[in-house]
Amino acid sequence: MTSMDRNERPAFRRRFGLHFGLIVVCAIVLLPPLWVLRTSFVPEQLSYSNELMPAFTTDNYSALLSSRFGQSYLNSLIVALGSVLLALPFAATTGYAFARFRTGGRWARFAVLATQMLPPVALVLPTFTLFRSLELSNSLTGLIIVYAALNLPFLTWILMGFFEGIPVDLEWAAMTDGATAWGAFWRIVLPVSMPGIAAAGVLGFILAWNEFLFALVLSGPKTATIPVALAALQTSNGVQIAKVSAGVVLAILPLVVASRFIQRFIVQGLTFGSVK
Amino acid sequence: MASIELDRVSKLYGNGNYGVHEVDLTIPDGEFVIFLGPSGCGKSTTLRMIAGLESISSGDLRIGGKSVANVAPRDRNVAVVFQSYALYPHMSVRQNMAFGLTMRGVDAAVIDAKIADAANLLGLQNLLGRKPAALSGGQRQRVALGRAIVREPAAFLLDEPLSNLDAQLRAEMRLELVKLHRRLGRTIVHVTHDQVEAMTMGDRICIMRDGRLVQAGRPLEVYADPVNTFVARFLATPPMNLIPATLQPAPGEGLSVLTDSGAVLAVPVRHHNAYGECVGRRVILGVRAEDFHESPDKPDWQKIAVRVVTVEALGAENVLIGQIAGQATGRDDAHPAGGDKPLEIAARLSRYFTAPVGSIVELYIDPLPMHLFDPETELVIARPSLMRATR
Repeated sequence: MTSMDRNERPAFRRRFGLHFGLIVVCAIVLLPPLWVLRTSFVPEQLSYSNELMPAFTTDNYSALLSSRFGQSYLNSLIVALGSVLLALPFAATTGYAFARFRTGGRWARFAVLATQMLPPVALVLPTFTLFRSLELSNSLTGLIIVYAALNLPFLTWILMGFFEGIPVDLEWAAMTDGATAWGAFWRIVLPVSMPGIAAAGVLGFILAWNEFLFALVLSGPKTATIPVALAALQTSNGVQIAKVSAGVVLAILPLVVASRFIQRFIVQGLTFGSVK
Repeated sequence: MASIELDRVSKLYGNGNYGVHEVDLTIPDGEFVIFLGPSGCGKSTTLRMIAGLESISSGDLRIGGKSVANVAPRDRNVAVVFQSYALYPHMSVRQNMAFGLTMRGVDAAVIDAKIADAANLLGLQNLLGRKPAALSGGQRQRVALGRAIVREPAAFLLDEPLSNLDAQLRAEMRLELVKLHRRLGRTIVHVTHDQVEAMTMGDRICIMRDGRLVQAGRPLEVYADPVNTFVARFLATPPMNLIPATLQPAPGEGLSVLTDSGAVLAVPVRHHNAYGECVGRRVILGVRAEDFHESPDKPDWQKIAVRVVTVEALGAENVLIGQIAGQATGRDDAHPAGGDKPLEIAARLSRYFTAPVGSIVELYIDPLPMHLFDPETELVIARPSLMRATR
């Protein structure tokens, strides 16, 4: 045995131990979603079978998509996208004002977070009463407004952080170059903070996509979103686990795509070479 | 016409502190002015007030004779080059340079022509399509300059534009900026804390400290005739040696300076009138490092003994750090700042000078350029300028 062998052996053992540990952790994390994926492709009556893949079918998906679940999917997309598109302009301008000016002082910054500090259940009933009188309950518009309002403080804070990271020199340069303060914001700050705005948008989308309580209270059969539709699969005849699994897989899909985006945007530098 | 006049301009912050305090300065059209001072002295704030990026708390600011105190930055017709360059990261070099002209509604063909001219001037022709992230520090700096040049502003305001460059590039850009000023003939206000930039680039230096303009003048004048110990020390490397001493009568009708360590330096006859009133008073003797010599080339140079602390070999010259060894008392000069640290002086000597650490060497002081300062006020005790006398 050479001295090199003696040195390499403990290193190999250490590496093996590390990888074994990581494999176990990965398995613990990945097995439940993988089992959901497996169940979504198994006929309902075989879904609790111990076999890995007793039979393969796409019936669960086609049944779901031809039912009201398909409509819920569309509802969720409209509500999540709509609320983000509604909230972002407000969040961007408010966040910028907080980041650059003494707007409202420090109190205002924390005051906008007030709704985040209340338990949602304390907000949902007053909102329901208000929306019913405004005839906004059981409508996608109502949900869009609620989600935009709920996400606004959170998005404002995220964007405030991004704007604070942008060197003020950039705006000063634009202003001496002939831009107004608004022009500097519109032409320089907004394009430069696009990665941040996109990241905030994706986070807002995920929050709206997953929201259950307000959707349950404010939506009706035609305006149910995915979390509500998934809950509805739990019927008096029991849980249709294969369909639920297919529904979960469909519900997760946009989030998987979104998380790929968010990673790219957050990793991307904010000022990428504007300043040394 | 782009003269810049600061008329008792102040910047008062909410906490009651002055960022800039009653600065009075007139910069004639076409002058290259350097604002020099340590960090936090108010030089960048003054520059930003000229640009309109900071409001003025009191006083008036005029550009081209018109008050601009309430004029937006975009309407002042000045261009700023920032320390960070502040290039728009989502735009190409060409778009960065075109931005200011586009904002002013200049015709696209004219913009193209001006960008081509500026790119030629600064050697940016091959970089116009690149984004700032794909440029080196020096290239970014040139783009920032180009962005300012294409606008043909009345004045350029440069906020430490060279401080992010390495030493060699900084020296090159220093020269480029001076050439650029000669070619364009525009007013330039250049903020820096680098005294080499200050001495070599500007027509005039304005030295600031704690928000106040301490001294303004041609570089060599300020160097030769500092108004106080701060300017004396700030404008040179190594800084002027400040040695606590007493001005006393010398045999005959002479005057001499007795340092606390007991070294005696005769005051040149030329300064007798100016210093005559201060006989018997405590003073601070100011001697520049280059006024120490290894050999008595002139008869009026005066011998002084120095204990060697270290010798810094800089290649072109050697800087001796040492303590003046007392002739009468045998004790060392106390440090003016107090404490136990003995006063060390710096002498700029030839590159051939060597001496073992701890040894005592004899040096010769040229006493003519010496200054005396009041230890209380730190202001210089006025004497006729050698600059004016020799010109």
